[in-house]
Amino acid sequence: MESPRKQGGRRGATSVAAAAVLLLLAGLVVTFSGLRGPEASTPDAPSHTSASSLATEPSTTTAPPQSDGSDKAEKTPDPGFGPSMPGSAPVGLTIPRIGVRAENIVDLGLADDGTIEVPQDASQPGWFSPGPSPGQLGPAVIAGHVDSTTGPAVFYRLGELRPGDRVQVARADGSTAVFKVDKVETYEKKAFPTRAVYGTTRHAELRLITCSGEYDTQTGYLSNTVAFAHLV
Amino acid sequence: MHRTVTLASLAIASLAVSPFLGVGAAVAADGDTMANLQPVALNGVQASGTAMVQVNGTRIDVTMAATGLLADNPHAAHIHFAAEARHECPTAGDDADGDGTINTTDGGPAYGDIVVSLTKTGDTSPDSGLAVDRFDTAPGGKLSYERGSIDVAPEVATAIANGESVIVVHGVDHNDNGKYDGEKKSDLDPKLPTEATDPAICGALVSAPAGGADTGLGGAASSGTDNGLLALGGGLMLVATGTGAVAARRARANA
Repeated sequence: MESPRKQGGRRGATSVAAAAVLLLLAGLVVTFSGLRGPEASTPDAPSHTSASSLATEPSTTTAPPQSDGSDKAEKTPDPGFGPSMPGSAPVGLTIPRIGVRAENIVDLGLADDGTIEVPQDASQPGWFSPGPSPGQLGPAVIAGHVDSTTGPAVFYRLGELRPGDRVQVARADGSTAVFKVDKVETYEKKAFPTRAVYGTTRHAELRLITCSGEYDTQTGYLSNTVAFAHLV
Repeated sequence: MHRTVTLASLAIASLAVSPFLGVGAAVAADGDTMANLQPVALNGVQASGTAMVQVNGTRIDVTMAATGLLADNPHAAHIHFAAEARHECPTAGDDADGDGTINTTDGGPAYGDIVVSLTKTGDTSPDSGLAVDRFDTAPGGKLSYERGSIDVAPEVATAIANGESVIVVHGVDHNDNGKYDGEKKSDLDPKLPTEATDPAICGALVSAPAGGADTGLGGAASSGTDNGLLALGGGLMLVATGTGAVAARRARANA
């Protein structure tokens, strides 16, 4: 006699809970999209740039209403990604403007904490190998130290790069990917624009990354300098 | 009237509780992922490509390009995931039936099930996994794909953002005659030759690095060489990934 009531009660509780979850989801979606608006336009989108594609968030493409039309959100048959090359690991890096001539590039992955690994040897740049190789569609990432424990390292002068400067990446297949610098930016690490640096691009691009700014004996350098370039 | 009030208060109450209900998973995280698509073991395709998936809540934007595929034939492409999968591309050791090639089923333990069909138009659910008339046909061997605002299940969005999904592009011309044919039928659909569905290129969608790079040791700065705290910041980021985007945003500021 008690059990039927209990069951009924449970069922009631279940549907109330279900309703609560649904509402909550709806509420969160609203809250969340409300929160996202400002973020998308803050530091992630550097204001000044000479590069056409870099600062723009991956386009919203087909115009119609932003929601619900998802199934119709198709795009043109040829998205027009511009020049690109087949996949091939980088084996050398030459940047005449700042005197970089590296004949060895190490592979980098993700460290346990989710940050990018860095080269052991401060004289060698490292390529983020889970991502695009230089010349492929997307942001190919090469990181290098600004200094070792004893003095300047391979990317010490990265901040001297200027828009228009060339970067040559020798690849394992014998080809060379040539990039043109679009801009050089410095970001405080605590406000690092992850999406702008590592997110989707619609062209074959390159990111050269090093440290910069003040050096804190506890936390290391407080900023990163990033050079953005595109395949020419 | 009464009803409205009740519903509204319910919503408010649940919002307040939400962080503790694991709803972070339901809302999923924002994140960026990338994949380096390389030839699938044993299948002998000389192709390569890249893919990028941007996750915004439970919506994803996919951008992908490849070259070297069988030209002018449909290439089914999917995001694969299963909780129990290895979240990687198959190796030669995954050739379960020992026939010397990797078919789609062989790859299951490595990459899991189809969770998103990367069709150019219409439905993107697993139901469209073999909708050969809606996939890119790789004119000249080049595949170019871009599609935004694909709705996915919360657990799928979370898996992608966490770097646990895999992109697979199918279609292998084993006998190099320029089309999908052959006696052997597909393990997925006996009406299709296995060439049409065998995995050609594959890449794990890896999370973009969190925050900045630890690329300085201080030797050219004024003093000191201690940068251990950066690792701590990154650790916070990892924890936050599991609890949703709001927490993740806070952690990003710390990283």
